[in-house]
Amino acid sequence: MHNRLADAITSSRADYTEIRLERSWLTAVAYRGSRLEGANSSLDLGGFVRCMSRGYGWGAVSFNGLDHLDAMVARAHELSLAVRLDQPIRLAELPARRDDVRAELDGDVRGISLAEKQQLLERLNQEMLAVDRRIVDTQAAYRDEVTEYWFANSDGTMLYELRPDVTLSAVALARDEGIIERGLESIGVRGGWHSVQECDQLFRTAARRAIQLLTAPRVRSGTYPVVLDPRLAAILVHEAIGHMSEADMIADNAEARAMMTLGRRFGSELLTVGDDGSAAGLRGSLPYDDEGTPTQNTLLIQNGVLVGRLHSRETAARMDERPTGNARAVSFRHAPIVRLTNTYIANGRGSLDDLLKGIRFGIYCCDALGGRSHLENFSFTSGYGHMIRDGKLAELVKPVVLAGNLFETLAKVDSVAGDFRWNQLGGGCGKGGQVPLPVAEGAPHIRLSEVAVGGGH
Amino acid sequence: MIGPLLERAARRTQAADLTFKSDETLTLGFDGGRLKSAGRLQERGVNLRVVAGGRMGFAGTTDTEPEPLLEMALASAAVGEEVKIELPRPQPLPQVVTHYPRAAVATLEELAQLGQGIHDRLVRDGCHVRVSVERSVGSVRVANTAGVDAGYDVSSVSLGAELVRIRGDDVLTIREYWAGGDLPGVADVEWLVGGILQRLKWAERTAEALHGALTVCFTPTGAEALLLPLHAALQGKALLHGVSPLMVRGRAITFASSFSLTDDPLLDGRPGSRPIDDEGVVSRRTPLVQQGNVQEFIYDLESAGRAGTQPTGHGRRTIFGKPQAAFSNLVVTPGEYSLPNLLGLISSGVLVDRLHGVGQGNLVSGTFAHAIATAYRVENGEVVGRIASGTVAGNAYELLGRITTMGRDAPWRGSTSVPAMLVEGVTVS
Repeated sequence: MHNRLADAITSSRADYTEIRLERSWLTAVAYRGSRLEGANSSLDLGGFVRCMSRGYGWGAVSFNGLDHLDAMVARAHELSLAVRLDQPIRLAELPARRDDVRAELDGDVRGISLAEKQQLLERLNQEMLAVDRRIVDTQAAYRDEVTEYWFANSDGTMLYELRPDVTLSAVALARDEGIIERGLESIGVRGGWHSVQECDQLFRTAARRAIQLLTAPRVRSGTYPVVLDPRLAAILVHEAIGHMSEADMIADNAEARAMMTLGRRFGSELLTVGDDGSAAGLRGSLPYDDEGTPTQNTLLIQNGVLVGRLHSRETAARMDERPTGNARAVSFRHAPIVRLTNTYIANGRGSLDDLLKGIRFGIYCCDALGGRSHLENFSFTSGYGHMIRDGKLAELVKPVVLAGNLFETLAKVDSVAGDFRWNQLGGGCGKGGQVPLPVAEGAPHIRLSEVAVGGGH
Repeated sequence: MIGPLLERAARRTQAADLTFKSDETLTLGFDGGRLKSAGRLQERGVNLRVVAGGRMGFAGTTDTEPEPLLEMALASAAVGEEVKIELPRPQPLPQVVTHYPRAAVATLEELAQLGQGIHDRLVRDGCHVRVSVERSVGSVRVANTAGVDAGYDVSSVSLGAELVRIRGDDVLTIREYWAGGDLPGVADVEWLVGGILQRLKWAERTAEALHGALTVCFTPTGAEALLLPLHAALQGKALLHGVSPLMVRGRAITFASSFSLTDDPLLDGRPGSRPIDDEGVVSRRTPLVQQGNVQEFIYDLESAGRAGTQPTGHGRRTIFGKPQAAFSNLVVTPGEYSLPNLLGLISSGVLVDRLHGVGQGNLVSGTFAHAIATAYRVENGEVVGRIASGTVAGNAYELLGRITTMGRDAPWRGSTSVPAMLVEGVTVS
């Protein structure tokens, strides 16, 4: 394959050419209620070619199969010639690399029969159904993928990687008369069959939570002091700070650049935030991004001051900064764009109890059903919560929506605990039509002196 | 490739069906003033389903060699559940236009001109504008061992535009989207550009937030908060699993009599249009809600088989995974009021245009609390300014029962056509 890639690159008439090829083996098993929805496998095979020449923009072609690489290179070059630019695109300099990285497969899923995968999920799904007769519906899913990955560009870089990914997810629906509640849990790892053998507790937790939420009251909408659990704090940092740190959002936008000037105050001085694609063994971890740049730990906010951002080679050159290894594509169907990897809030000091102390009436928000941000506006939904009364956790409450202006909210972080942990969730991140991209987030418990909370009624 | 694959499958199974899809999409991206990128996505693949030993299995591939596909589907069937599905037999296809030669042959230059034109009309000081133009040409073939072998060609064009205005730390984002089978007409482009500029104008000033149980006018995008839960609840599968909240103790709940919703795959040139679904069931119109009363739920072959009812022609297949029931084009029947006339009915209230987090959370229950992304305060029938923050909360099914007036203009946004609607007693905080 290396030779075919090298030949195709050599055949190119463009100033810069890159090729990615991927071959994926995928398996999916799904249960709904007590019934198997299906267990099946798929093959996905294809490539992506991108070309650029001085004075012209990007031309890109993606295709199924791995043949006719020369023709695909020629097509991409031809497309690039349709895009005339006054300001030439520059790419940050990068030394050429040759590498072969095979991640630890931890029990290669390709060697496990479909029947074994189906039996594993059947057992886990039964764990949910057995929790309570009011669990009226479940959705349990197992998904695995092994991808062989080749990357080559005209700078002389040539990479081969073997990338595994396994996820399990649990959704339990509880119903009592007109009330329907959900409990959700998931796990996602860059690993294999051995990585997901002890997940029974995860499935039971989803079902128990759905049952508990049936009788949980709603929070009155309003403004509260709030403690976020590590999962939700991590989603906040991903949605709000992470996405705003993606340089493609700001490189061409003078106002956005002004808003994100390095050195500006960005939240309380307790806050240190980064993105680390080189962290070991997480879902967003990779040796190289999809432009062949090595991944790294990039500090974004240090003690409440904006100190960095995430780049592709193109955005780095445009802003005269260094590429950070954050150009990622969800598959060969897409061009690489600036994306997050493993985004985190760094550890502070103390425990959850320390954070609860001093809150007379507030909300402990846990877990996240989803979140979204656009520049400085964010909104996300917790999975469940507890009232905080007189410095202690009190009754369970239904999910709440937290929303607001990023800058105002981050300024209100008044405590960061010392109990950091990484999320290892399934699902993934979406941007520009590219979803789901495997990412991870990590944080300790954090406290906000006040946040607008939407409760329902 | 399709014929031989189905023949081989027929010899080793009780029943089999497949869809073959191929398309080529040209995407042009405009950013910061001009065409920035051009991309071509060529995609094709086969999704095969088999019934063997009374069990259903399926498999998909994008490999040019579909050789292992049958073995993969048989392995899937070996662990699959027993299922009774009846494959449809051949029937004459209804007339519906899904392919427009004019759109299919449009050159890159023509499409670039279209995008540049939209970009140039939106661009202004202090605003960053991105525009994308996408044109896709492809074909779908559906075949089964009961004799169905049908195919049709598809063309589609879509336009996306985003305008971001940043003032200090205040960010306003306005997005609009259009899609159709043919190239957009002057009126379509006008609608896209005009809608964005209208919102920008409304957002020129900010207004004090309003609280309480208010009269709210939902724009078509704002109304998604009410409609997405209903779409989920109208799945036959939700009914089958006892989680459709539309049935309470065996009785269907009702909505305002001005509210009617139809699924219509037979409209010419809409993104969801097709003469036959991906499982070989011939397309027809499905009345979902008529004058506030729930009429039909949607079923694919499998959910219909389980429910003991007829499939409604809503089978949708991707290359990977199994068929799922999905809507084609959704049409909410419009009323008689233009938007200014709708607003004229509001003495003091809110025009809700976009909410955060729609589609997240416990969708099917209908209960929601969404933060406001863009909403405007209305006083004496006029928009007086943008509301910077707040939450809209309620239950979608209850609010659909409290629609007092339906708007006249129901623009197509992708595969849905929804008018603005006026709803009483909406909790805004």
